[in-house]
Amino acid sequence: MSSSLLDTIHLAHLPPSMAVHVAVYRDVQNAPFLRQQLLSANSEFEYAFIDASVVLSRTHALSAVFRAANDFMNGRLKSRNVHSEIVFSLNPTTNIAESFRKFGITDSTKDLLVIKVSVTPEITHDSVAAHLNQYVEGTPVPFDDETLSKIADVAKIKKAYKLGTLNTAPPNQANGTHDDGMKRLELSVLGAIALRGAT
Amino acid sequence: MTTTYHPPPLPPPFHHTLTPNLTTTSPIPMELITQGAEAHLYKTTYLSPATPAALKIRPAKPYRHPVLDRRLTRQRVLQEARCLVRLVREGVSVPGVLAVDWDLNSNSNSNSNSNSNENGNGNENSRGEGQGEGNTGSEDNGTEAKAGNGAWILMEWIEGIALKEVFRGWEASLKDNNRDENTAEEQAAAAAEERVKALLRKIGVAVGGLHRAGVVHGDLTTSNLMLRPTPSGQQSGKGEKVEGDGDEGEIVLIDFGLASQSIQDEDRAVDLYVLERAFGSTHPRTERLFGEVLEGYRGSYRGAGSVMKRLEDVRMRGRKRSMLG
Amino acid sequence: MIAIGLESSANKLGVGIILHPDDGSTPQVLANVRHTYVTPPGEGFLPKDTARHHRAWVVKLVKKALRDARVTPRDIDCICFTKGPGMGAPLQSAAITARMLSLLWGKELVGVNHCVGHIEMGRLITGSTNPVVLYVSGGNTQVIAYSSQRYRIFGETLDIAVGNCLDRFARTLHISNDPAPGYNIEQLAKKGKTLVDLPYTVKGMDISMSGILAAIDGLAVQYGLNGPWNDEDETQNTPASDEENARPTRADLCFSLQETVYSMLVEITERAMAHVGSKEVLIVGGVGCNERLQEMMGIMARDRGGTLHATDERFCIDNGIMIAQAGLLAYKAGVPTPLKESTCTQRFRTDDVFVKWRD
Repeated sequence: MSSSLLDTIHLAHLPPSMAVHVAVYRDVQNAPFLRQQLLSANSEFEYAFIDASVVLSRTHALSAVFRAANDFMNGRLKSRNVHSEIVFSLNPTTNIAESFRKFGITDSTKDLLVIKVSVTPEITHDSVAAHLNQYVEGTPVPFDDETLSKIADVAKIKKAYKLGTLNTAPPNQANGTHDDGMKRLELSVLGAIALRGAT
Repeated sequence: MTTTYHPPPLPPPFHHTLTPNLTTTSPIPMELITQGAEAHLYKTTYLSPATPAALKIRPAKPYRHPVLDRRLTRQRVLQEARCLVRLVREGVSVPGVLAVDWDLNSNSNSNSNSNSNENGNGNENSRGEGQGEGNTGSEDNGTEAKAGNGAWILMEWIEGIALKEVFRGWEASLKDNNRDENTAEEQAAAAAEERVKALLRKIGVAVGGLHRAGVVHGDLTTSNLMLRPTPSGQQSGKGEKVEGDGDEGEIVLIDFGLASQSIQDEDRAVDLYVLERAFGSTHPRTERLFGEVLEGYRGSYRGAGSVMKRLEDVRMRGRKRSMLG
Repeated sequence: MIAIGLESSANKLGVGIILHPDDGSTPQVLANVRHTYVTPPGEGFLPKDTARHHRAWVVKLVKKALRDARVTPRDIDCICFTKGPGMGAPLQSAAITARMLSLLWGKELVGVNHCVGHIEMGRLITGSTNPVVLYVSGGNTQVIAYSSQRYRIFGETLDIAVGNCLDRFARTLHISNDPAPGYNIEQLAKKGKTLVDLPYTVKGMDISMSGILAAIDGLAVQYGLNGPWNDEDETQNTPASDEENARPTRADLCFSLQETVYSMLVEITERAMAHVGSKEVLIVGGVGCNERLQEMMGIMARDRGGTLHATDERFCIDNGIMIAQAGLLAYKAGVPTPLKESTCTQRFRTDDVFVKWRD
C-alpha cells in the first residue's frame, strides 16, 4: 500500500538511466534503526536519509540531488557515495559531519525524506519501493510541496543556511506577499547549495 | 572567408540533454538564445520540464592564455553567482541561482560522454581525496596551471523583453512621426515620451536598489535590463516605490557577468557612467532623457547623492580621455 | 583628386599623398613617408624636443613625398593635416606647415581627426565595410563602431592608453625605443614562458590599465629588473625547472603584460561586436601591428564566425597617408577647413566628427 507513494523522477539534464526515487514518511518509529544501518555502512541501506523538517520544498530537495549527481558524474564526490553526497549537498558549508548533523536522519527524526538514485540498473522503482516498504516504519505521504510545507521548520531552515535576517514575512507594503518571501527564501537556499565550496 | 558558426558542444551534464531520450517522455528543450561576448545563453529547464531556466555557459576562451582563462572564467562565474545570491537575499529583482559549475575539468567532457554511471566512481577513486568526514578543504584539487574547460551557471528564467527593444521601438516611432500640426499625434507622442520617462526613472530606482544592496553591475546596458510583466497588474516591484506611470512591468537586472560587490562611490558612479554611455551609443535619441534615470536613482537610497557627485568626476575624466595618457 | 596629408601628433612625422581616381576606382597611395623621433632607452619623448624634430624634418619629407608621388603642388587638390588629438607642440608642426603650404600653393585646407584618419585608412586598405574598430596606440585606446554619421566610442581606457602602458614599462626595463618600444617588448615577450598574475580590469566595455602598470613596475623593481641591463642579463634567464622559486625574467614580464592587456582588449572588442551584432573587426593604431594581438583577435573573430582585418606597420603606425585619405573624403563631401579655423587641439574626440561621407 505504501509503495505506491514512492515518487520516481527523471531530472532534467541527468542521463535517462539515472532515475531518482523519493519517498516521504511521517511519524517514523524506527529512526534509530535506520540511522544505525547508515553508521554501520550497511550497503543494503545506501540511501539519503534526510530529516524532512529541514526541507523546504520539492525543488529544495531535488536541487541537492542535482548537485550531488553532477558532482558524482564529474568524479568530484566529497563523501562516500552519491547518497551521502545528497545529504552533504544540502549543507551550505563543506563540513561533512556537520551536514549529517543538520540535515541527516537523527534518532529523534519523525518526518523522513528518503532519496535513492538509480546508479546501477538493479536499482528500480519496484526494488526501492519494496525495500522501503519492508524497513521504514512510518506513514507514507506524497513528495509534494503541500506536504513538505506542513513539515518544514522554517526557523530551523533559516538557521541552517544562516538566513536568519531574511524577511519572509509580508513586507509592510500591501503588495508584497508571504509567497514572495518564501520564494526568496527558497532561491537563497538554492544559491547556497549551488555555491557550496566555492573558493 | 566567413564560416558558419557552430557553438561548442555543451558541457556536462547538459550533453545528456540533447541525446535521444528513450526512457523519459519528451526531450528537454535547449535553445541557444544569444552568443554574448563571454557566454552562450540557452533557454532550458531545471529539474522538471515545467520550470524554464537560463543556462549560461562560459566556454574556455582559446585566445587567452590558458592559465589566465581558467582564473578569469572561474572568478567570474563565481563572482556572478555570489552577487546574484546576495541580491536575491536582499530582495533585488534579479534571476536566482539554481546551480553552478565553476570549474569543468578538461577531461570531464570525454569521461562522462557515455551515460555509463561507473565513470563517476572510477574518477572519484583516482582522485583519492576528500573521502573522509569533516573535510573542510577547498573543493577543487589541482587548480594549478591546468587549462580549464569553461564553466556554467543555471539561473531562473526571466520572462519579458529587454529594454533595448523597448527604447528601439520608441525611437523607431519617433522617426516615423512627421512634424505636422496634428495635435492628436502630438499628444500621443507626448504621452509616449512620458511613459518612456517613467520607465527611465524606474531604471534609476532599480539601479539604486542594486547599489544599496552592495553590488555594482559592471556592465549596465539596455540589453541587461529586462521589463518583466507584473502578473496581475496590481503588484509592483518588491519593496520598491510604486511609480505612477509607465508601470507595464518590473525592471529585472540580468547578466551579472562583470558584477562585483562594492559600496564605493567610485564603482557606483562608473556603473551609472557605463549606463549613460550605453544610452549614448545605443539610443542616441533617448540620451537626452537620461536625466530621468538619475532622477529615479537620486531618491532610491541614502548615499545616492554622493554617488551623483562622483559621477561628475567620472564624466570629466571620460571627456579628457582623448588626450595623451 | 589628389590630397597631401601631414601627421605630427606624437613622435612620428608623416607625409602621404593619395589619389582618388575620377572614375571612382580604388584610391592609390602615391607616397607615404615617415620619420620617427627616437629617444634613448629609459626616456620618453618630450613635446618640445619632438616638435623640434618635426620642424627640422617636415620640409624634407614633403619634398620627398612629392618626388615619390611624381606630382607637383599644382596637381594637389587639398592639404590635410592632423587637427588632433595629440601632443600640443608636435601637432603644431604639421598645422603650421599645412597653413604655409596652403598659402604658398593656393590650395584649401582640411583639418583631420587623427583617430578618424586611422579608421578610414584601415577601411580602405582592408576593404572592410562596417567593422567594429579597435584603435590602439600610444595615446588612444578605443573600441569604435559606426552609427548614424558618427564613429561612436563603445569602450575606451579609463586612464592610460595601452601603448602608453607598454612604452612606460619599456622605460622601466630600459628597453630600446628603436624602432619602437612596443616592438621590442613584443620580441622579448616571445621568449617569455611564465605568466605572472596581474590585475585584469574590464568595466563594461571600458578598461583600466594604470593598476596593471603599477603592478608590473612593482614586480620589475622587486626582482631587480628595472634600470639599465648588465651584460649577463640577456643570458641569465632563470631555469624554468624550479617552478616554486622561479623568478620572472624580463621576458616573462613582457609576456605577462602582453597576454593580460591584449586579453582585455580582445574582450572589450568582442563585447562591442556582440553588442552591435557585427562580425567584422578592424585593428588600427600603432599597437595594432603587434602580431600577438592580431593572433588573439583573429581567434576571437574566428570563434564568432567573423573576420579580422589588420594592416601592417606602414598604415598601423601613425602616417601621413591616413590623414590624406580621411581629409580627401571630407573634402569631397564638401567640408574644407577655412584658414581661420585651421588650428589644432590636444583634445578632439572621435565621436565629435560629423562623418558626412558615409551613409
